[in-house]
Amino acid sequence: MIKAFVSAAFALALAGTASAQTLNMMKGIDAPHYDAQRTTWGPTSDIVNMFQDTLVALDWDGKTPIPYLAKSWTVSPDGKLYTFKLRDDVSFCSGKKFTAEDVAYTFKRLKSPEIKGPYAWRAGTIKDVRAADPYTVEYELSEPFSELLLLLTMFTNVILNKDNVEALGRDYGIKGADGTGPWCLDSWQPRTHITLKRHDAYKWGPSMYQNKGPVKFEKLVIKIVPEDSSRVAAMLGSQFDTTHQFPSQFIAQAKAAPTLTVQEAKPNFQLLYFGFKTTRPMVADKRVREAMSVAIDRAAIAKSILLGNADPAFTIVDPAALDHDPKTAGIVTQDAERAKRLLDEAGWKPGADGIREKDGVKLAPRVYYTANANSARVAEAIQGYLRKVGVDWKLQPWDSTIAPVKMAEQDYEIWSVTVPYLSAGDLMNIYFDSANIPTPNRMNWKDAETDQWLKQGRSALTPEERARYYAMVQQKVMREHLWMPVLNINMHTVSNKKLKNYRPHMIYQNTFYKGLDASF
Amino acid sequence: MSVETLNALPAPVPVGRAGVLRRLMRDKVAAVAAVALTLIALAAVFAPLIAPYDPYFTDLTKVMQPPGEQHWFGTDNTGRDILSRVIYGTRNTLMLGLVGVLIGGMLGGVLGILAAFYPRLDGWIMRLVDVMLAFPAILIGLAVAAIFGAGLTAVVIALVVATVPDVARVARGAAVGVMGQEFMEAGRAVGVSDSTLIWRYLTLNCISTIFVFLTLRFGQIILIGSALGFLGMGAQPPTAELGMMAAQGRDFLFMAPHIATIPSLAIFVIVLAANLLGDALRDVLDPRLQQ
Repeated sequence: MIKAFVSAAFALALAGTASAQTLNMMKGIDAPHYDAQRTTWGPTSDIVNMFQDTLVALDWDGKTPIPYLAKSWTVSPDGKLYTFKLRDDVSFCSGKKFTAEDVAYTFKRLKSPEIKGPYAWRAGTIKDVRAADPYTVEYELSEPFSELLLLLTMFTNVILNKDNVEALGRDYGIKGADGTGPWCLDSWQPRTHITLKRHDAYKWGPSMYQNKGPVKFEKLVIKIVPEDSSRVAAMLGSQFDTTHQFPSQFIAQAKAAPTLTVQEAKPNFQLLYFGFKTTRPMVADKRVREAMSVAIDRAAIAKSILLGNADPAFTIVDPAALDHDPKTAGIVTQDAERAKRLLDEAGWKPGADGIREKDGVKLAPRVYYTANANSARVAEAIQGYLRKVGVDWKLQPWDSTIAPVKMAEQDYEIWSVTVPYLSAGDLMNIYFDSANIPTPNRMNWKDAETDQWLKQGRSALTPEERARYYAMVQQKVMREHLWMPVLNINMHTVSNKKLKNYRPHMIYQNTFYKGLDASF
Repeated sequence: MSVETLNALPAPVPVGRAGVLRRLMRDKVAAVAAVALTLIALAAVFAPLIAPYDPYFTDLTKVMQPPGEQHWFGTDNTGRDILSRVIYGTRNTLMLGLVGVLIGGMLGGVLGILAAFYPRLDGWIMRLVDVMLAFPAILIGLAVAAIFGAGLTAVVIALVVATVPDVARVARGAAVGVMGQEFMEAGRAVGVSDSTLIWRYLTLNCISTIFVFLTLRFGQIILIGSALGFLGMGAQPPTAELGMMAAQGRDFLFMAPHIATIPSLAIFVIVLAANLLGDALRDVLDPRLQQ
């Protein structure tokens, strides 16, 4: 009897130890693969940031690149040659030593036509990346790229193990992926779970973390729980330790729950906007676009629809983001009467049912968006405001699997996306450059001045010069009302109170980032 | 259903309209269901006259108000009056059910009768029906919505596809029974055309069976339509539709449970009333049950 009791107690103690060494995380959506260079997909990025590293890390302020795999760097006076000195104590999960050859291979692969990296532009226009010695990389550009260091912090620029990529071939990122990150990719059951294990050799954590490595958990298990209310119930029931995808409408419940902690990533740049396809007759007139933008009450939408879990956005670039132009602040204001006047001036007159018409056509633009909770509810609220000024938005949500294809078509007037970004340049270079028509420049905005200023901003040699050109672009695209900025969506992490020292980061919706300090 | 079974049935007892109504009203449950459905249908038809508010008018200063004096059923997450939206939503939900049942019933009936009348088509039509039966209506709705976009059209297509195979089988069963009757053979013998035989002799003799089946099917169709609406495949905002309204309220169950529960209750009442009435109609019209 005593023997049985002791055995049971021992077994229980063992079980307790095992669970204490596993961090259980939950997210709503899985990725199609974990090859960072071949995607723009957010659900790939958070996992990639756990098991792979970049040359430079992004500090908590969301603006400052700090040393990571590169311990220092110099930039040539013409801004075209970056010389990175690498750490010599870094190894991959496989045990292979990290060297400059891996860095050179990574960026050559990113730029190769076979990969078609959608975010390859974030690495600049590379002329050559070469290993000067095993721990020195010469990163040569065809033209200066003033935001290179900032954008090298993004997940698409993580350093790959050349041997691992070549060995796995087309299966890289599906059957496995090696990295130098604090966690190692252990197993992946698509749409079910991802398991990562501690990288025991890791000791090169960036200065932003107190713990330089290794991480304090043996395992990190990430379960995919697509249903919003299931994630809420699971967190309230303490089945998981943390999630960064907690539905915003339940944040108040999480805050009230005695077992949970809610943290907000600050700063946080995550814009929910509605864009206008300027080549469609119904929204070709900028007065019509402005009318829709000024007719809505953003503060009320943030408070009532997102229940305070968002801030009203009147500018496309957040005031706290790098290179925001303060002069854009007054371009969009709330004024329903002005909206009516603008529509009258544009020739859209109220019809018998209150909806405006012109030449027998109703002002009823088709609005596309992905059918997730935030976009749908915000679109519906805006629809309500616009009906009051005589505009009848025809809402068309699409499932997330088909939305990118549908939004690449041309037979709609307006679309909505929530976009995370790092700086004015990061946001505008991809969306407003005419080279990116028809997507992601879905506005079909083809303007020589915009293209020129973007190029000048990209290749500026000083921060001041860059800010000046990016300010000109912001002024132009906002005065043209190409986008209707609506909300800056807050990014929350909900954790069990037993999880300590976990500070959410803002980088590309990857609040966990490296998770080095987190512990029970 | 085999021919032998149908042939073994007693001859139908003719039932007049007054007889049907009288017997329906004798069943108290059926009477209550009929009255409830009639009131619901009247509210749906006269929605613009009855609804106290514009169902599309949003007011973000009055979101998620509980049921009260100003708004009997409260307001939703954009401040719209739920009572007005339920009235309009009922109209759309009933319309979906009716369209689904009528079009599906018509197509299924034609297929079933043709299968019975032309034996060479029988195998082809019935295999087609088997294929259609293999796809759940919800799956078809999701597929149509994914390809062409969510909307009432996607729901109607799904509901029609869901109705056709069942009706085709029932119609074929009834028609095979009628085909074995002597008057059909006599019609052929005297040279009556196929179209006359099909319409005047076959269809008119099967129609009550199909009708009873469709009344029973109506409740299920409404439920499937509401489920598709709940999944976001049906009507799109601001159109009021009960399934979609229930889905919108799901996100606010902790804060404002009335937003989801009131449209859900409305669906429950409509489906229950339709099922009870369908059962009663079957009892009145089915000759076997009359025995």
